[in-house]
Amino acid sequence: MISIIIGALAYVAPVLLQAQQPFLKRFEPTLINFLMLSFLLFVVGVAGVLSRRNIIIIFMSIELILNAVNLNLIAFSRYLELNKDALMAKGLAVNPLAGPVFTIFIIVVAAAEAAVGLGIVIAMFRNRETVAIDEIDLLKW
Amino acid sequence: MQLHGWEAALFYVLAIMTLFMAVFVVTARVAVHSALFLISTLVNVALLFILLRAEFVAGVQILVYVGGVMVLFLFVIMLVQTRAEEEARVRLYTGQTWPAVIIALLLAVSFYFAMNPAQAAFRPPESATTTPVVAESTERATAGAGLNISKDTQEVGEQLYRQAALPFEVASLLLLVAMVGAVLLARGTKQEKYYE
Repeated sequence: MISIIIGALAYVAPVLLQAQQPFLKRFEPTLINFLMLSFLLFVVGVAGVLSRRNIIIIFMSIELILNAVNLNLIAFSRYLELNKDALMAKGLAVNPLAGPVFTIFIIVVAAAEAAVGLGIVIAMFRNRETVAIDEIDLLKW
Repeated sequence: MQLHGWEAALFYVLAIMTLFMAVFVVTARVAVHSALFLISTLVNVALLFILLRAEFVAGVQILVYVGGVMVLFLFVIMLVQTRAEEEARVRLYTGQTWPAVIIALLLAVSFYFAMNPAQAAFRPPESATTTPVVAESTERATAGAGLNISKDTQEVGEQLYRQAALPFEVASLLLLVAMVGAVLLARGTKQEKYYE
């Protein structure tokens, strides 16, 4: 079942190679490279959420997804910061600091989500003696 | 936002480390190993934040995630550990192979169609502002001789307390609610009887 993750990455790899083609000339990472890294992190997290049985590892995969989003926001913030003048000249209003601020709120929400989620896990383990999600089927009819 | 020289090399090292550790998080058999790999992933992402000159967020990431959330995860794993997964016969995955593959495919397609126009859109201002990058790097080099303090923390703090003051308060209220909720959810039957 590791094949799920490998399969997910295999579906992604040709797209990435295609997207990376013009950049083979210069390997220096730009915004696109950060977006690709963030996307791959996101896909790994989604694969974890969809395929694992242990609910704690599913929570960890959710943390991975949130981190991918954070990386995306910070990369865009840096991009806006560096290209502020060029974008301002085009008449676009840019606020490069919105990225870090939003990232901090995402971290706060992630911490709250982890606390409540793990509280639910403990309560559920106390009642059902399991952390496998396919054995937690009390609401299934 | 091209990174140059050792920063480019560092980006690739950190990116590969991050991805490998993320895959290990998802594939690890024992939950504790998964948590340790996740700590490694989070530290790598924090280093990428430093590479993007977001030092404050990197510090928050280390403090909150590695120092707070992961300790919580490890405690819960310790409380909940049945040690059943160490045996090879126990299934690690649910049988959702096809949904996972289909969703990965959909994500790949959406990524392709999002990135294809975006590449053209992101490049022109980039090439237009190669000079500010150079200017900034020289500025940083000269600043390194004297006082090497990034203004990132100050700027983010000002933004957080001025423009985003109301969301900030809402976030603190959310944390309070989450804290009370977690305590309420995790208490035992004996404690419930005691308080009722």
